[in-house]
Amino acid sequence: MDANSYTLEELLAAEMSRHIRPDDLCGFIGTGTGGKAYIRAVGIPAVAARLAQLRQSPDFIMCLGSVVDMELDGDSIPETNFEPDVLAWPGRSQLPSYDVLNFFMRGRVSIGFISAPQVDRFGHTNLVRIGEGGAIRARFPGCLAQGEIMAMAGRTFGVFQHDRRTFVERVDFASAAGRNSRGGLPGGGLSLVFTQYGVMDFTDGGEMKVRSIHPGCTRRQIAENTGFDILIPEDVPETQPPSAEDLRLIRTRIDPKRKFLNAVITGAPATLLDE
Amino acid sequence: MNAQMGKRTVKLKSVRDAVAQIAPGSEIAIGGSYNRRHPMALVHELIRQQKGGLVLKGWNNGIDYDLLIAAGLVREAHSSYVGMANLGLAKNFRRACETGGIRYVDHTETTAQERFLAASKGLTFALSKVPLHTDLMRQAEYQAEIRCPFTGERYAALEAWTPDYALIHASRADRYGNIQFDAVRMMENEPDIFIAKSAKKLIVTVEEIVDTTVVMESKFQTLLPGFLVDSVCLAPQGAHPNSCDARYDFDLAHGAYYQGCCTTDEGSRAYIREFILDTPDFEGYLQKVARQKEGKPYGCQ
Repeated sequence: MDANSYTLEELLAAEMSRHIRPDDLCGFIGTGTGGKAYIRAVGIPAVAARLAQLRQSPDFIMCLGSVVDMELDGDSIPETNFEPDVLAWPGRSQLPSYDVLNFFMRGRVSIGFISAPQVDRFGHTNLVRIGEGGAIRARFPGCLAQGEIMAMAGRTFGVFQHDRRTFVERVDFASAAGRNSRGGLPGGGLSLVFTQYGVMDFTDGGEMKVRSIHPGCTRRQIAENTGFDILIPEDVPETQPPSAEDLRLIRTRIDPKRKFLNAVITGAPATLLDE
Repeated sequence: MNAQMGKRTVKLKSVRDAVAQIAPGSEIAIGGSYNRRHPMALVHELIRQQKGGLVLKGWNNGIDYDLLIAAGLVREAHSSYVGMANLGLAKNFRRACETGGIRYVDHTETTAQERFLAASKGLTFALSKVPLHTDLMRQAEYQAEIRCPFTGERYAALEAWTPDYALIHASRADRYGNIQFDAVRMMENEPDIFIAKSAKKLIVTVEEIVDTTVVMESKFQTLLPGFLVDSVCLAPQGAHPNSCDARYDFDLAHGAYYQGCCTTDEGSRAYIREFILDTPDFEGYLQKVARQKEGKPYGCQ
């Protein structure tokens, strides 16, 4: 692959890394499962975090569940995300899961990274179910630590599949708090939304709006694939593509074996654009 | 009491005897997380002994919940996650929720953990801001909004969990139930320690039984002293197919086989019959799994 072309995963990792600030100290991702879900919830955030560490945010550390401040370069990344490899992952700390989650409670987590099968206009997510009561059409695995992230982290970055099934007016079950009703919650809630078409953020009123559109994608694609009337400013810019240096770092230093960006680490390699 | 004068009570029992004391309809807390260190020898034995009407409590669960649900033994379950990690959804759990076969109550990781932790400290509720402004607050019998008397801040009060039994899997113990954990261990499973302390009774399976002198030479690894423990059972590979810290990895091949079987209710029932009901004990199950891998006949199929 040459430096003039790039994958969606590379575009999203490079773009996400630019939103990590020099004063961000701690990021949190889950341990992740397999395939595309891993790319969204773990792979892209891990590469984005490493790019930021190498540049504007050298003090930014990542917690992957109990695995704290691990090395995020090439050969340091384990071959699999199963237990013996994760236990041997070079890093600076392993803490009980509740200690790491208490970082949230104490306001120590700058950015939480998430994904979900459903997100709505006001930035609630749903990891619980589609349908209600006796008419549950799809049951998902459960809330995990997403409620903690969305309630307590300074900011939350989410990567989602952009279609009308995922982007809905109102989630069937709000398993994490949105942007429009937050009284008593210290964290910021969902702040940035990354998809195959663009990057979204939120208005002061807590409503999702388009922040940039990826090269080659259109306003119409976003409007047609969003299940609510999404705000698209007239002067919305194009997402900055990854630079040659971004691609060199990703391909030679951080993720040469595509363990993160194509979920090779999970034994179920994938790309986000697979059908 | 059956304790002999001057002799400490031996807590070592067979898995069968330890599970036999559990009454149907009990509230059972299950340790482990994702595809790690769930006490599967005890879970299998609950199925062999057909202990029905159970209420399950955990913070992060997988094949442990999925099997008990498939076996029709669960009336209500609580967790933040029921899934098969890299192997995808827990199919029996999913079907049971979608058909109304069980009552399942959602929690987040800390709102589940904090309930055990509160109970382990003798409290009747825990505090959290996490469920505020979510639909978790609609599960009103398990949480209620309250205010901090000092600052006025909003919180959810979370009902503490004091299960009848906690079932966990650990590294090793002596016959008196002094439970040790390997120094190199997956720290995701640390809640096992306070889950153990939250329950009215505690049953622990271990990979090995060692002499008390060995325990005393490594006392810093004893995270649950014997007086807290009601039964300790020897169950080598007792978390299988889940991983057990640095001792063994998740059995991906058998996990995938299980997932294949569980595509239908009939397949799940056939798996349970073959690998649990038609095996005398967990060792018999492990032998069957090994024979299956070698391509040898392992049962009625």
